[in-house]
Amino acid sequence: MGSVAAEGGLREEPRSFLIGLGRGAAGAMLFGIPMLMTMELWQLGFYIERYRLFLLLVANIPLLVLLADRVGFERTSTWREAWRDATIAYALGIVMSAAILALFGDIKLDTPFSEMLGKIAIQAVPASIGALLGRSQLGGSSGDDEEDNEAEGADGNDEDKGDGGDAVPDQLSTSYSRELFLMAVGALFLNLNVAPTEEVILISYKMTPWHALATIFVSIAIMHGFVYAVAFKGTHELPEDTPWWHAFFRFTLPGYIVAMAISLYVLWTFGRLDDTAPTQMLMSAIVLAFPGAIGAAAARLML
Amino acid sequence: MTEISRKQPSETEDPHWIEWATGIFSAVLVVGMIGWVGVEAIVEEDQPPEFGIAITGGNAIAGGYRVEFDIANRATRTAAAVVVRGEILDQGKAVEDAEVTFDYVPAQSKSSGAMLFSAEPGQREVRIRAVGYSDP
Repeated sequence: MGSVAAEGGLREEPRSFLIGLGRGAAGAMLFGIPMLMTMELWQLGFYIERYRLFLLLVANIPLLVLLADRVGFERTSTWREAWRDATIAYALGIVMSAAILALFGDIKLDTPFSEMLGKIAIQAVPASIGALLGRSQLGGSSGDDEEDNEAEGADGNDEDKGDGGDAVPDQLSTSYSRELFLMAVGALFLNLNVAPTEEVILISYKMTPWHALATIFVSIAIMHGFVYAVAFKGTHELPEDTPWWHAFFRFTLPGYIVAMAISLYVLWTFGRLDDTAPTQMLMSAIVLAFPGAIGAAAARLML
Repeated sequence: MTEISRKQPSETEDPHWIEWATGIFSAVLVVGMIGWVGVEAIVEEDQPPEFGIAITGGNAIAGGYRVEFDIANRATRTAAAVVVRGEILDQGKAVEDAEVTFDYVPAQSKSSGAMLFSAEPGQREVRIRAVGYSDP
């Protein structure tokens, strides 16, 4: 700290880090509030079977790390930084969930410890995803973003070389799996919003198989339309001589399967599939995959 | 793959075979799922809810006795707000009753619950039956 220049550099670093923290906290709140205000999710906090909650909490770790590698609090370039960002996001998710649940009087000092823990833990998962997304969505100028993209592009190639364990050594496919991963995150995020509510199973009981069929077609059409047809910022372009069904088979259909898989996982986590006939499971998964498909498509556009 | 660059992201013209493999696998799954639901849509008859109740266990609890049971809905229509009444019968006369309401008993699925009686039924018969439901 001898010279002025060095001091300035040191000051700059914590400041931008604190801004990143603030954005993370804002993101946790913005993305977490619908769930923090859902009664069913509070209830799930104490009746969810602990091993399912544990699995969800553990599964959230690699998800956050991979997501942090894509959108961090700061421009991440190494796995160590991705881990650090993921840890911070998780912690922010826990702190924000605890703070807001306490604010709403949903957890009090005399609440049993196990119930308090369950409520905070289950909320921390979407809130931590929100904390990471806060960085990317509430982020700074567009110039920053472009730099980020470049950095990530270079970064992605490095990982491919390092990641020899991957079944597919080709760098093309890592980008493909990343695309599928982003869709999974988007689907998971919207699913966590919707799945705990009773409406999901109620809708599946109200629907006939014909409704379910229509829902499948509409979900797939929305997914494809979101990404390729409706001109949002970030809409994907197809090379001119590629027929539309190329992207449909390579991205939309796998994306829908990802959304279905995530739906089934979330329904199972929340105990909605217990003692249920396979057809009923499928019906509720189709209902939940509808928001999941929208989330997956949106994730491809935004992240 | 998707190229992310300053301009709009665009899909490559020569995708890796794994992308096609995933695509075809997904297409098979989606078609399978549509087929499954489609068959259900065509062959499924609309049966009103039909319940079967089986007592699965009982044990003494503080201040009474708990009788656990499963309620299964064998039909293809889900029942909501299913009211189940349990009675302890002493020589054909109900000496005590208890009631529980299930939010849902889904089609071809089962739910479980318990009746809490103030006394142990012992040798007396316990009768549990569904007395009503509403359509979801």
